[in-house]
Amino acid sequence: MDEKRRRFEAQVMPHLDAAFRFARWLSRSPGDADDIVQDAVLRAYRGFNALRGSDAKGWLLAIVRNCHATSVSQLRRRALVPLPEEHDVRDGHVLVADTGDPQHESILADEARTLDELIAALPQDYREVLILREIEELDYREIAGVVNVPIGTVMSRLSRARAALKKHWHLRASGDTHGTS
Amino acid sequence: MAHPDSQRLEAYFDNEISAPDAADIDLHVEQCAECRTQLQDLVRLRAALRQDLGHYQVPQAMRTRLARALDQESGTDSRRPSRVPFWAGAFGGACATAMVAVIAFVIFFPPPGNALVDQLVDAHLRSLMPDHLIDVESTDKHTVKPWFAGHADVSPAVGDFEQQGYRLMGGRADYVDRQRAAVIVYQHGAHLINVFSWADDRRGLPRSLTRNGYQLVFWRSGDLDYCAISDTAPDELQRLIGLLQALGELRGINPGVNRNPPG
Repeated sequence: MDEKRRRFEAQVMPHLDAAFRFARWLSRSPGDADDIVQDAVLRAYRGFNALRGSDAKGWLLAIVRNCHATSVSQLRRRALVPLPEEHDVRDGHVLVADTGDPQHESILADEARTLDELIAALPQDYREVLILREIEELDYREIAGVVNVPIGTVMSRLSRARAALKKHWHLRASGDTHGTS
Repeated sequence: MAHPDSQRLEAYFDNEISAPDAADIDLHVEQCAECRTQLQDLVRLRAALRQDLGHYQVPQAMRTRLARALDQESGTDSRRPSRVPFWAGAFGGACATAMVAVIAFVIFFPPPGNALVDQLVDAHLRSLMPDHLIDVESTDKHTVKPWFAGHADVSPAVGDFEQQGYRLMGGRADYVDRQRAAVIVYQHGAHLINVFSWADDRRGLPRSLTRNGYQLVFWRSGDLDYCAISDTAPDELQRLIGLLQALGELRGINPGVNRNPPG
């Protein structure tokens, strides 16, 4: 393995799960996330010599975001917008383990789907900031770098996303307090 | 001080404001139930998001595909400058094989303590869900400590460090390593800290680490193993641990024995 590849494996590949999660929440589809991440990793590798400093995670996530934007605009151009259902099962991803007590599993799956749906329903501007902060643990400055907006915009989007989510989540929690134990 | 607006309170929650500003809000939050509720909501929302959405991982098939794509990419890179002699290729092949063996080893034989870490992180996240945090709610160590006698298998050092900024909130029993562990809950600013303790089984503790954004710090005191877990800053977690360790030393050689210190 050559030197560039070795450094790439050490600096960038540890953030592959983060890239996959981010792609998944941008595209709202595991099948698309595969393509986006593959595209992003290859682009990152080709441009790896340009990476300065240590923020490989933010750098990779910014590339993921660009790849997603490209794939969206391509889809639009071709007017190829697949139905969400057939999309979700296309690659045969199993997001919920199919072992164990079926009743217990179905409760968990229902919960995840509901919070999934809440996130998916947020506009992308809000969704991406929320995911980068709460799941990927980027700080405001790093998020501003990935999304390419000023820090003040990051703060207001994050705040509005949290407020919207909290409101619906409270409604859900008050209607279903028994399923969480 | 007036209520901080929600963006400012969130910046405080996200550790994005200066230390003096944070100290102002610390003081305000102490006295303002409304802001405390908002902070709790933020903590719970984050915990729920991380639990429900944070676990997606790249499927193995995809990792393999990516590695192959990168092999092709780096192949075109290395072919450009010069032809690689045969022995270097053979050596590279051997390195790749060794690499695969190492990766397979790491995947199939994870380091010990992983299961313990998973249990602790799960228990911590569960505790952040509504109504799961505390079984015995009290800021009085003389209430919390005796409660463990009937509900957990061990009796850890319990102290209230409100003066130092770590407010005792109560206790809880949780299963760790197939024992009923005693959990002490502290609040530090906007952060909750769970301190787990269970009987030491001489298997050695994992090193301190970060998992899902939560710090886990392990230590041993007397015949008990402890783990403090929180999303607070590492040095702030260390400070509480220092206080707890000092308390354990005060109680003598055998802090795990179920007896209350005088005073």
